[in-house]
Amino acid sequence: MALLIRRSNLIVPITNPRFVSHAWRHNADAITLDLEDSVLDTRKAEARALVQEAIGQVGQGAAEVFVRVNKPVVHADIEASVWPGLHGVMLPGVETADEVAAAAELLTGMERQRGLAVGSLQLIILLESALGVWNIRSILTASRRVTQVGLDENDLACNLGISPLPEYDPYVYARGRLAIEATAANVQPVGIRYPLGTQLRLLSAADLHQMANDARNLGMKGVICPHPSWVEPVNRAFTPTADLVAYNKRVREVFAEAIASGTAAVPLDGRMIDVPVDEWAKVVIAMDEACSARDAEKKAALARLA
Amino acid sequence: MATHRVRRSGLTMPVVTKRFVDNAWRRGCDFINLDLEDSVPPHLKAYARSLIQDAIPNVSKGGAEVFTRINHDYILADLEAIVWPGLSRVNYPKAEYGAEIRKLDEIITRLERERGIRPGTVEIGANIETAVGVANGYEIVSASPRVKDFGGASGYDMSRDLGVEMFVGFDQFVYGKGECELIARTLEVETRASPFVANTTGSVSDPNLAFRQAEAARKCGFRHGGGLNPAVVEPQNRGFTPSEEDVRDAHWVLEEYRQLAGSGDTWREVDGRIIDRYEAARARDTLEWASLCAERNRAKAEAVARVQAAMAEHTS
Repeated sequence: MALLIRRSNLIVPITNPRFVSHAWRHNADAITLDLEDSVLDTRKAEARALVQEAIGQVGQGAAEVFVRVNKPVVHADIEASVWPGLHGVMLPGVETADEVAAAAELLTGMERQRGLAVGSLQLIILLESALGVWNIRSILTASRRVTQVGLDENDLACNLGISPLPEYDPYVYARGRLAIEATAANVQPVGIRYPLGTQLRLLSAADLHQMANDARNLGMKGVICPHPSWVEPVNRAFTPTADLVAYNKRVREVFAEAIASGTAAVPLDGRMIDVPVDEWAKVVIAMDEACSARDAEKKAALARLA
Repeated sequence: MATHRVRRSGLTMPVVTKRFVDNAWRRGCDFINLDLEDSVPPHLKAYARSLIQDAIPNVSKGGAEVFTRINHDYILADLEAIVWPGLSRVNYPKAEYGAEIRKLDEIITRLERERGIRPGTVEIGANIETAVGVANGYEIVSASPRVKDFGGASGYDMSRDLGVEMFVGFDQFVYGKGECELIARTLEVETRASPFVANTTGSVSDPNLAFRQAEAARKCGFRHGGGLNPAVVEPQNRGFTPSEEDVRDAHWVLEEYRQLAGSGDTWREVDGRIIDRYEAARARDTLEWASLCAERNRAKAEAVARVQAAMAEHTS
């Protein structure tokens, strides 16, 4: 199976025309048009009417396009969102498998109605409550459309009744469960290192890169970005560095030589190279190739626009 | 917590590397793990299997228990080759489902019967190295009474499965380790785990690091070690064994607790320390573990002395 490369997913409030029209310029792998938290309740209907046109607009740089819907009005939001060019729907506040199954069924109906390949639209799940975190296994396995899952840490804090302190990560368990259960279900866990998910601050690109890099080393596969400044450092953190690729190519060579000489465990720079290390090297190299392919795709789209 | 065996240190080695196997008895390990899996190249698997039966008495003559790590994908051929008298444990890598463990149990049960081994002798070590394994931990441990301890959820295989680099300086595996520990304690098997000790080098031969890790693990209530390089055996034995000071302290706590017994109080403070039944239980646990370790050291020393005497007789 091809590796899914969705390092950065930029959230854009759909009712802000300037943000929507600029979104494609930020080089995000995905762009999510938000109908939920960034849209006032009084403007929900107006917001829905904007989706069809915005999909084409934000997708012109070859970003995948998603729409974040409102949990209480999933039906109306999905109906307003399923148009050619859409890659899927971000489903917030999921607590049970039934919600996922219901959304998947809605998507099937709309795919038929609007002439999209049935089963093509994906789901990104956001967990925002203890119940959602607890039910993660049944939620992720409720539909094959689910490709990514993350925590909404602000809503989760409300649900837990806590005001998180930046120096104490209250989500060690939740995020660990996310990484393990998502990986087990072949779904990508996404998120940034604590406390950035709860404290929207503008950081330097270097700090953001470090936080995203740490997130990757906690098992996350990408970050939902609330601000365009996150995109570049996030893309960089989730793309294997040239050094890492070079080291892992060396691992593969050294290991192949070892196998040829009759051993499957060989030292390299004080570490032991054996099957799992070689397997990991294959992953890094494949990831590098997939990232390069995705970047080339986006570059080609931009070249067509120029 | 009932302690099953003393397994502070052990070397995992490719059974095809004669030099490692022939010297294994000299290393002072509590166990030797003969590897058929990742350290053996695919074209040598059959040859490796043929070596196990002779290797078992060879590596155990210094008093070590003998384990074998089999291949996830060749369980029948591997088990046929390794379940012989003297084998204590089969380590099964990348355990993911209870059904796998039941299958192993079934084959081992037949081989024990056929080969005159007391039923139930051979344990199954279910190595958790993937997210699916963590997610299914409860059914894995429940699958067979041969699973006597449980843990893992860290290391190279786990890091590959999660797509994380190793040795980044923070604990990436805390959830999985926590899940495994809860499962082990719930199902009343021993827990096999280690607390996070910052390690950004990934060295498999650093004795100081090995000691720090072993000592930290013991203080958190864990007792299982193991490694790849002979340089870590002694530091692990030392780190997992209560120090003389720990033993003295435990005796002191128990003496203070005895004096408390007649006083009518349930606790008292001595030199800033609280003495109560929890402290006393911990002290008894330390002394019991220290005596098991001493017994194990004695048995290994006697075994080594026997080998050396036989060798001396042979050369004279």
